[in-house]
Amino acid sequence: MEVYLVLCFICMLPIPAKSITTVDCKPAINESLAAKITINTVILQQPRCCFDNLTNLPCTSNTCEIWLVPAVDTGLSTFDANKASSAILSLSPYPTAFTGSSPANYFLTKVGLQSDFPCVSPSPGGYFRVGADGACSTTNCNGFLPQGSSPSFKYLLVDSVNKTVLAETKWSDSIALYTLKDPGTLGDGFAGRSGAMVIITTLLSVAAAVLLLFLIVVLALCCCGGKSKGSGSVVGSVMGSFRIPRYDTHHLKDPAPYDNPAYEKERKYTTQDTLPKTKATSAVNPVTQDTIKLQKI
Amino acid sequence: MASRGGLTWLMIIVILCNAFAAAAGLALFALAIWVAVDGYKLYPISGVSGKDDIFAGAWIAIFTGFAYFCTCIFGIYAARKQRRSLMLSYLIIMFIIFIFECASCITAATNRDYLVGNSNVVKKQMLQYYAEDSTKGREITKTWNKVMQDVECCGTDSPLDWVEYNSTFRQLYGTTYPWPLNCCKRLSSFEVADSQGCIIGQTSTMFTRGCFTHIESVLSRYTWAVSWYGFSVQMFVFFMLLIAMVYFTQLG
Repeated sequence: MEVYLVLCFICMLPIPAKSITTVDCKPAINESLAAKITINTVILQQPRCCFDNLTNLPCTSNTCEIWLVPAVDTGLSTFDANKASSAILSLSPYPTAFTGSSPANYFLTKVGLQSDFPCVSPSPGGYFRVGADGACSTTNCNGFLPQGSSPSFKYLLVDSVNKTVLAETKWSDSIALYTLKDPGTLGDGFAGRSGAMVIITTLLSVAAAVLLLFLIVVLALCCCGGKSKGSGSVVGSVMGSFRIPRYDTHHLKDPAPYDNPAYEKERKYTTQDTLPKTKATSAVNPVTQDTIKLQKI
Repeated sequence: MASRGGLTWLMIIVILCNAFAAAAGLALFALAIWVAVDGYKLYPISGVSGKDDIFAGAWIAIFTGFAYFCTCIFGIYAARKQRRSLMLSYLIIMFIIFIFECASCITAATNRDYLVGNSNVVKKQMLQYYAEDSTKGREITKTWNKVMQDVECCGTDSPLDWVEYNSTFRQLYGTTYPWPLNCCKRLSSFEVADSQGCIIGQTSTMFTRGCFTHIESVLSRYTWAVSWYGFSVQMFVFFMLLIAMVYFTQLG
């Protein structure tokens, strides 16, 4: 009986398990990459200088592994409750992590050895792409995150021998993934009128209207209303009704042809040079006024 | 006489203005040919959307530019002959050409506003037609591939257009590639320089600015050639026709 009680008492003593250290690190997005967030992948910065200050580790930097936990919604608390378990790596396989009636909402995937991420990086631009394996089906594969969710991340230091979690970082801020927007939502209607278009339209319309108006006015004035004035538009102080470009003044002893100024610009009549040089005369015929024959009386 | 001298001066002014307008009309003809030829090969972007009146305006301007040239030479002849019938026919023909050129300027400016007033039309077209296997899709794909490689750009406003929006490209090719490989920098052998870097978006391996500024500037350049230059020719022709009308009334 007493032995039984002692045995029970020994059993009830908590086995001194190593508690998981939380380091002061927070996974963050790698801001310099353009595809840092897509609908189902995230690109994080590498876990450098996070676990390097720890001591008393059962594994060395060549055997300690760094793992990542992406978790959504309730997955954070679920993982925190289960993280001390020795089977944590396979407790929530990726294929069923986010499916089913009560999914675990987290999964674990291996990032690399601790020695792969020294504190001072030899080459800049290190990154870790969560979701790089795509739609995979193994337990710890780096598969797609659920579309449109807001996962948080945590890096873990895992003992490769025991497969237990030795240390962890803090949870990152939840990173909202994109949900695919429908391009039909882009409003391609009225995009606004530019000032250029307004100016061009108004000025050209006004100009065309003014031109049409003036054209009608000019046509009305000249062709319909001013038939009688049509030929008399030239300012002439002489007797404009005489359509004789050149006539003889009878009272003179030596008649010389008189040039009618009203006909100055009419190019149809004969000039002094083309008239016969003699004093030959001819009758004036108003109909054929181009041919004027002088008549000596 | 003053009237005769005044008329001669008016004739000289009409003739000079017609000579200048003939030259301006010929320049409009040449400029509209440049627009219609579309050296930047961006016609499918306006053609697929159905609003290609920038190019329709250019075609009208080709004809009106040449018509202005011919009619102004006729106008020089009509002014020199000082005959009313010739001047009247000149005025009527010029007015008809004026109306057509107005239509060209206005329609080019209006369609430019629709197409590139904001980036939505171009973006929606890119998302819907890029990689689609239809006639329109092939044209848009070819155009965008050329633009992305020549101008070194990706997406409409930025490469994130491919990530944020659903698209035919996304439906056909899944999520392996966030954006088309034409967004990636290439070697002189036309191979992608660093396809892994391009997939994750390293700025040194891909083009990160949007293509919309280039498309907008090219279409605006075409539009301003047709509509603003056409507008300036129209204004000059307007005042020239007013002077020609005055000259017409002064003819005997």
